[in-house]
Amino acid sequence: MKPDFKTLRLDRVTRRFGGTGKTTEAPQVAALDGLQMDIARGEFIALLGPSGCGKSTALNCIAGLLPLSDGGIYLDDHRIDTLPPEQRGFGMVFQNYALFPHMTVAKNVGFGLLMRGVPAAEIQTRVKRALDLVQLAQHMNKLPGQLSGGQQQRVAIARAIVIEPPLILMDEPLSNLDAKLRLEMRSEIRRIHGELGRTTLYVTHDQDEALSLADRIVVMKDGKVQQIGTPPEVYGQPSNLAVARFMGYRNELVLDVVGQDAQTVTLAGPGVNLVGIPKMRLNSRAAVSIRPEEFSICADGSNPANSISARVESVEYYGRESLFMLRTQDNTRLYVRAEGKASPGETIRVSVPADRVLAYPFEQVA
Amino acid sequence: MMLMSSQTAGSRWRDPAMWMAAPAVIFMLAVFVYPFIHGLILSFQPLEGGMLSNYVKFFSTDNLWMTIGVTLKLALPATLINILIAVPVAYRLRHKTPYQKIATTILVIPITLGTVLIAEGMLTYFGPKGWFAQILQTLHIYEGAIRLTHNYAGVVISLVISGFPFAFLLILSYITGIDPVLPRAAATLGATPFNQFRYAIFPLILPGLAMAFCLSFVQAFSVFPSAVLLGSPAGATRVISIAAYEAAFENYDYSMASAVAMIMGAVQLGVVVIVLGARNLFYRGPVTGGKG
Repeated sequence: MKPDFKTLRLDRVTRRFGGTGKTTEAPQVAALDGLQMDIARGEFIALLGPSGCGKSTALNCIAGLLPLSDGGIYLDDHRIDTLPPEQRGFGMVFQNYALFPHMTVAKNVGFGLLMRGVPAAEIQTRVKRALDLVQLAQHMNKLPGQLSGGQQQRVAIARAIVIEPPLILMDEPLSNLDAKLRLEMRSEIRRIHGELGRTTLYVTHDQDEALSLADRIVVMKDGKVQQIGTPPEVYGQPSNLAVARFMGYRNELVLDVVGQDAQTVTLAGPGVNLVGIPKMRLNSRAAVSIRPEEFSICADGSNPANSISARVESVEYYGRESLFMLRTQDNTRLYVRAEGKASPGETIRVSVPADRVLAYPFEQVA
Repeated sequence: MMLMSSQTAGSRWRDPAMWMAAPAVIFMLAVFVYPFIHGLILSFQPLEGGMLSNYVKFFSTDNLWMTIGVTLKLALPATLINILIAVPVAYRLRHKTPYQKIATTILVIPITLGTVLIAEGMLTYFGPKGWFAQILQTLHIYEGAIRLTHNYAGVVISLVISGFPFAFLLILSYITGIDPVLPRAAATLGATPFNQFRYAIFPLILPGLAMAFCLSFVQAFSVFPSAVLLGSPAGATRVISIAAYEAAFENYDYSMASAVAMIMGAVQLGVVVIVLGARNLFYRGPVTGGKG
């Protein structure tokens, strides 16, 4: 495979499972439905979504481990989706590491080079360099079973990058690690990507991972792409309700649209009057998404614009802030993460900036 | 095991779970240990001569000691052929598909046939006037006389037919036990399907292959019906079990027959020890690629 390329083009990549099309069998289900995007060389792309959203299917299709049902994959103008995985030459890091248990760390890392017929002496120096990069050179003669989970995953990364692939594919590489190690390895992956600048496709269900690592995030649900954007775009301006929910917009209020102009929308409900930003064309009802951290608690007696009055149900203390669980007058639950004090049973007022109130058509609520 | 050894001897007997092994222990004592010891002692009580005279007679009589070589010459190639065929077939059928189920069933059917039934079928199919010979001759593929029964070849074919399902099932279970992500990982690293097998599967099933070899070999070594029915029991396929049979039921010398049986067991044990000893040279550890 070409060591370098300008664009990896995914053209309506589709993968259906089940049935062969015969009427007697279960209907086919599209695990991945028309994934379409161009990836530039050096980009770090995160495929983000809940389990079953098709993100791993997409990765396996690109790696060549699953045939496509439809569409094509192109490296520049070269079609690659018809090639078997061994001819695509993409480095892949698997969720459970997939290290060869009977080979030493050095043999594992050198395997791809051995398969490429690289001379033994060169394999040795390149393996050494790759292990230095993941800081495991002192363990090169151990078997994978003798290493910790984090070390095994770093071996897996070294094994994928040593072949200098045009594309590195990572399938939830951190999900088997404990929380502390996950944070360390996240920085490690970021550092390695910074040093090598290899195009990386990273599958995860963890928004924090996607936000902190990726140049661009592809949010997926039910096999379909919901939004493609930079981390601030996806975090701040989810394109639909599904993305908003997934990106941590825990509060959803269903309100009446009482006024609308080009940039803003005015919404009302029992005890609620909000000005927000319409993210799509709205009809008479809208669903409003607000993050818990966007709220602040109003001083006693004050009644600023864009505020909601609600009764405190419970309080979880988080140090600098607390998480307040509130009930609005129409019994909608509201999560508010803010500084300040309030006790259960009290009625308080919380306000939110208008540009952090995102309104979507109500019909979208599943 | 670890758990048990950490307990005291006293509490071990009070553990009711231990008693679940009792039927197996009684069974072993009754049908294996007792007959074995009985036979061993019997073999040292010859009809005439000193304690060792049966063994002396065996190793000094040509048509007795040569049965060891004859039997090895049948059992080793038959076992090797079985393993060598079973490995690629099992590798091909390692994925669970409806097609795999059908193929596995067909391949395993011979295990339900007795060796006598196989011998009978082979006599009509592979015999000089059988379909196999007739088809080859009609199609002018092979013109000369085809003799695949009543000789060495007949017995080897029969051993392959009856032994294959056993070897295949064992090896299939070893191969399906290997984490399927390993060959996939090898593929992404540039390994062709053959190299995926060679580097990511074969080293991991090697200890299992040694085990399958031992079990298949022991079965093949005790060949009797097919050696008589399909071979030439007086010549090329005069196997060791025939020698034991003759001693017991033609000469009524149970003591000599026991000695032959003991020698037979010793040879089997010898081969098993060598193969399992070599097994220790291979990698033996987890066959998955990391945390599950």
